[in-house]
Amino acid sequence: MEEISNFPLNPEPAEEETLQSQMQESTPDRKSMRTTKPGIKRLILSLTVLFSFIIGFPFLWKSIEIYRAPLPFDRIESFSSQLESDPLHFPCRFQAIFVGFDFSASRGLGPNDVAAAITHKMSQLNPNSLRCGNCGGGDYDVSVVIDSGSSCAQTEGSEARCPLKCGEVVFGGKLSDEDFDEMLKRCLGNVDGGGKGYSVVVFNGDKEEGEVRAVVGKYRHAWVLGHVSEDEAVSRTAEIFARVFMNGGNEGNSIRSEFMPVGADGRIVLSFSLLNAEPQDWIYDWSFHEIDKTLLQPVIQALQPIANITVESQVLYYTPKSSFSYWDDIHGSHIFSTKDLPFFLNSNEWHLDTSVAAGGRSKVLQLVVYIPSAKECPLQLELPNGDLSKTNGFISPMWGGVVVWNPESCVKDLESKDPDRRVISPQNLQKLFEVLMGQLRQLLGLKSDNLYVGQSGAYILLGSERGFTEWELDVLSGKHVCFNLHSCATTLGSLSRLVQSLPRMIIIDEIGKQVKFSLEAAKFAQSYASTGIYNASAVSSRQARSLVENAFFHPSIMSISYYSFEHCFAIYSPFFLPVTMHVILAALREWKRYKQENRKYLAWKAKERIVS
Amino acid sequence: MEFCFLRILKLTMKVLVMLLLFLGNIRNSAAYFSSSSEATMHTNNWAVLVCTSRFWFNYRHMANTLSLYRTVKRLGISDERIILMLADDMACNARNKYPAQVFNNENHRLNLYGDNVEVDYRGYEVTVENFLRVLTGRHETAVPRSKRLLSDEGSHILLYMTGHGGDEFLKFQDSEELQSHDLADAVKQMKEKGRFKELLIMVDTCQASTLFSQLQSPGVLAIGSSMKGENSYSHHLDSDVGVSVVDRFTFYTLAFFERLNMYDNASLSSLFNSYNPNLLMSTAYYRRDLYQRHLEEVPVTNFFGSVMETIHTDSAYTSFTNKNFGGAKTKIFLGQSFSSSDINSVRNSDDEDQFNNLTAEEDQHNEVGQCIFCAMDSGHLWSVIIGNVITHESVDFFVCYGLVLMLPLLVFSTWLSL
Repeated sequence: MEEISNFPLNPEPAEEETLQSQMQESTPDRKSMRTTKPGIKRLILSLTVLFSFIIGFPFLWKSIEIYRAPLPFDRIESFSSQLESDPLHFPCRFQAIFVGFDFSASRGLGPNDVAAAITHKMSQLNPNSLRCGNCGGGDYDVSVVIDSGSSCAQTEGSEARCPLKCGEVVFGGKLSDEDFDEMLKRCLGNVDGGGKGYSVVVFNGDKEEGEVRAVVGKYRHAWVLGHVSEDEAVSRTAEIFARVFMNGGNEGNSIRSEFMPVGADGRIVLSFSLLNAEPQDWIYDWSFHEIDKTLLQPVIQALQPIANITVESQVLYYTPKSSFSYWDDIHGSHIFSTKDLPFFLNSNEWHLDTSVAAGGRSKVLQLVVYIPSAKECPLQLELPNGDLSKTNGFISPMWGGVVVWNPESCVKDLESKDPDRRVISPQNLQKLFEVLMGQLRQLLGLKSDNLYVGQSGAYILLGSERGFTEWELDVLSGKHVCFNLHSCATTLGSLSRLVQSLPRMIIIDEIGKQVKFSLEAAKFAQSYASTGIYNASAVSSRQARSLVENAFFHPSIMSISYYSFEHCFAIYSPFFLPVTMHVILAALREWKRYKQENRKYLAWKAKERIVS
Repeated sequence: MEFCFLRILKLTMKVLVMLLLFLGNIRNSAAYFSSSSEATMHTNNWAVLVCTSRFWFNYRHMANTLSLYRTVKRLGISDERIILMLADDMACNARNKYPAQVFNNENHRLNLYGDNVEVDYRGYEVTVENFLRVLTGRHETAVPRSKRLLSDEGSHILLYMTGHGGDEFLKFQDSEELQSHDLADAVKQMKEKGRFKELLIMVDTCQASTLFSQLQSPGVLAIGSSMKGENSYSHHLDSDVGVSVVDRFTFYTLAFFERLNMYDNASLSSLFNSYNPNLLMSTAYYRRDLYQRHLEEVPVTNFFGSVMETIHTDSAYTSFTNKNFGGAKTKIFLGQSFSSSDINSVRNSDDEDQFNNLTAEEDQHNEVGQCIFCAMDSGHLWSVIIGNVITHESVDFFVCYGLVLMLPLLVFSTWLSL
C-alpha cells in the first residue's frame, strides 16, 4: 500500500528506513523535505468522487426538472407587436358609376379627377381610416365610370364596362326597390366579375322627377336616382362608401368591445323565452319550431362565419317584472318609462339561464317576450319625449333583449276556472320576431332600423330576408376579425407573462399545442384578410381566439399547485449538502497535502542538486 | 496555488448563486403590466360570497354570508351572477333547533334559508383551490355555467369573505389557508384577463386588513372589519339557537343596507362612514389607493345592486320577414338548406388546409425546445451534449444514458481504491 506509506502520520517501516538513511547523510530536516515522490492515488480517488458528484449534478437537475412545453415566446411577441404596428386591413374596391352626368363639359373634369375627389371626400368622412378592420388602410382603390349618354369615360384599370348597359327601364320608375336591386346586381355582376367590390350607381334624372331617392341594396351596391348636381353626386357617393359600406352606417366609429357578444369559444346561444307574468289570467304558447325553421335558420347561416349559433326556447310561468307601471288615461294603457328599464328584469323570478347546451365560455343571449298580466294590460313603454315606443322593447348590451307583447284583448275570462290557454297567432309572432331580429342586430352592433341619415341626405337601407345584408356581414366580419385577433394577442401576452412568472409550473403539451395552433390560425386569418376573404378570415380568427382562451384557462394552470424554486432548493439541499461538503473538504485536504509533500520533495531535489 | 484554487471555487460558487438567484427572480422580473385602462362601460354586476368555516359554532359565518346573499339579491343581482360558497350546512345540522332555517338575529323574524337559495359550492367543495378557480376562471370543462364567474371587462364584482383569519391569511375549512399573496395573485390574473372593471373585496375576519397588503391591481377597493392585531367580534348570542348568529361588521353593514332599496343612490363613502369603531369593537379598514373614482360619487348599488345599461329598440327589422311566413315555408327551407351545405364545405376545406400546415411545423417546435434547455444550463459542453441528446430522445432515455455513463467512473474509482 504505497500511498498509505506516504501519509506522514503513520509511517511504515520501509519509509522509516529510507528516512533514517537520509538523516544520516544529510541534515536531519525531516519536516521540510522528503526523498520520494509523493503518491497521487489518494488525490485521484478523492477528486474522482468529487468529480462524479459534479457530473451527477446536471442529471439531478434534469431529473427534478418539471415538464414545460416550450411556448413560442418570440413568435407571440412578434405577433402582437406586428398587430399593433400594422393594423389589419381588408382590400376593398370601390366603383362609382355616374349615368347621365357630364363632368368634362360642365367642370372640365376627367374620370381620374372625379376619383381623386371621391377619395379625398372619403378620407375626410373617415378620419381614422388606419383603424383595424378598415378598408385599404388609408388609400382607397376608387374607379370611376362616367356615362354621359353620348360619351363614356372611365379610369384606367377599372373593370366596368363602358357604357353601362342595364336596360332602359331605369328611368321609368316602375320598379320596386327590391327588383331594382336584383337588376343592378345582374348588370354589375357582369361588370366586375366576382361582385366583391362595392359600387354606387348615380342616375341623373330630370328636374321633374321629384325627390332624390338613395337606396343601399342588400348586396354590395347602392344607387341614387333623381336630379342631383355633380357635386352632390360625388359627395353622396363618397358618403355611401365611407359611412355605410365601411362603417355599417354607425355613427360611433370605435369598436366597442361591449358589442361583441360572441363567447370565447366562438359560440352564441340564442335563448328565446316566453314569459307569462300571470298564468292565472292567460297562458300563451308559441309555435317556436316553425319560427326556428323558417325565419331563424337563414339568419344563423348568414352569421355562420362570425359565430357558431345554437337556438333554444322556453316558456316560463309566474314571471312578474320588478319595476312599476302606472295607468295613463291619455294613452289608455299602463305605462313604464325608459327610466325604469334597468329595473324591468326580475332576476329573482325570471330563471332564464337554464341552458344545458351552453358550455362554460360560450355566450348566452337572452331574447325575452314578456306577456303582462291582466292587471297591467296593455303595457306600453314611454320614451323620454312622451311618445309610446313602436317596438315596446329594449336591449341590454351583452345580455339580450326584451319585448313586451300585449294580448289583443286585455279582458280576462272570469267565468272559467281552467287556465285560459292561447297561442300567439303566426302574424303576431312574425311581428314579434321582426322586433327580436332588430334587437339581435342591435346586440351585434348594427342599426335596428332601415334608414341611414347622413350629411348629404337620407339613405334607405334595404333589408335582407337573411336578417343581414352582404355588406353588413362584411362590416361585421371585419370588426370581429379585428376584435378576435386583438383579444388573441392580448391573451397570448398574458399567458406568456404568466408562464414566465411561474418557473416551477408544469405546462402540459396541450397548452403548447393550443398556443401554436392559435398562432397559426391567427396567421391564416391575417393572410385571408389581406386577400379579402372575409368569411374564412372570420372563421380562422375565431379559432385563434378560442384556442388561446382554452390555453389560458386550462385547469392545469393554478398558481397554488406549484411551489417556487426556493422551495425545491430547500427540499433537495438537506439530502446533498452534508455529503457534498465532506467530499469537497476531503478533496481540498488531499490537494493541500499533495502540494505540501510535493514541495518537500522538490526541496530535497534542489538540495541534492546542490550537493552533487 | 491554494489561494488560486479557492478563488476558482469562489468564482464557481458565485456563478451558481447567480444562477439560482436568476432562476428565482424570473417571477419577479416578469412583472405583469396592467392592460390599457380604456373607459369601458359598466355593464353587469357579479357577487362572490364565501363562508370559509365549518362546524356548528361557526354558525354566524354562514349567517353572515346568507344575509349578504339576500341583500344583493334584493338589490337586483340575479342568482346566475352570484357565486355562493358555504363551507358547511347549518340548516341541516343535527344541532339546529330550527331545521332548514337559518337566522341572523335572535328575533327570528327573517329566515335566511327560505326559498330560492342557490348554493353553488357547499361543504367540502369550498377549498382554496376551488375559490381560486372561481376567481381565475380555470375550471374543468365539466363545471356548469352556474358555478363559474363569467364576468367580463365591464363587470363590477363584489367579493365577500368571512371566516377565521389571522395575519395575512384566511382559514378555509379548518385545514388550509388562503394567503394574502394567493389572493393578490388571483386578482392580478383576473385583471390581466379583463375579468372585472372594478372589484370590491369585503372581508369580515380577525385582522382582515392584512389580507389586502399584497394587492396591487388597479380598480380594486378593499374593506376589512379589523386592523392588524385586532379581532372581529360576533354581535350577539341567540340563546335559542345556542350560538352567536352574526358578526358585528356584517350586522352593521346589513343595518345600512336594510334602509336601501334598489333605486337608492347612497354612496360607498356613506357606507364606509357608517361603521362606528365603538360598536364594531374593531376598526374598519379600507384600502382605496388602487381605486380611481371618488367614493362619494360611487353609489353602493354599483357593487351591491345590479346596474343594467339599456338601449331602446327603435324599430323592428321588417324586411326580414317579407316573405309570407305561413305559406311559403317549405320552399324557403329547401333553398336555404342548399346554401348551408355550400358554406359548410367551404369551411371544411379551410380547416383542412390549416391542419396540414400545422403538422409541417413540428420540426421547428423541436428546435425551440432545445434552445430553451440550453439557456437553462450553465456549462457549455454540457449544453451541447445534453442538447444533442434531448433533440432525438426522450428525457427518460437521457437520464438512463447518463446513469450508464456514470458506471465506468464508479468502476474506475473502486479499482483505484483496491
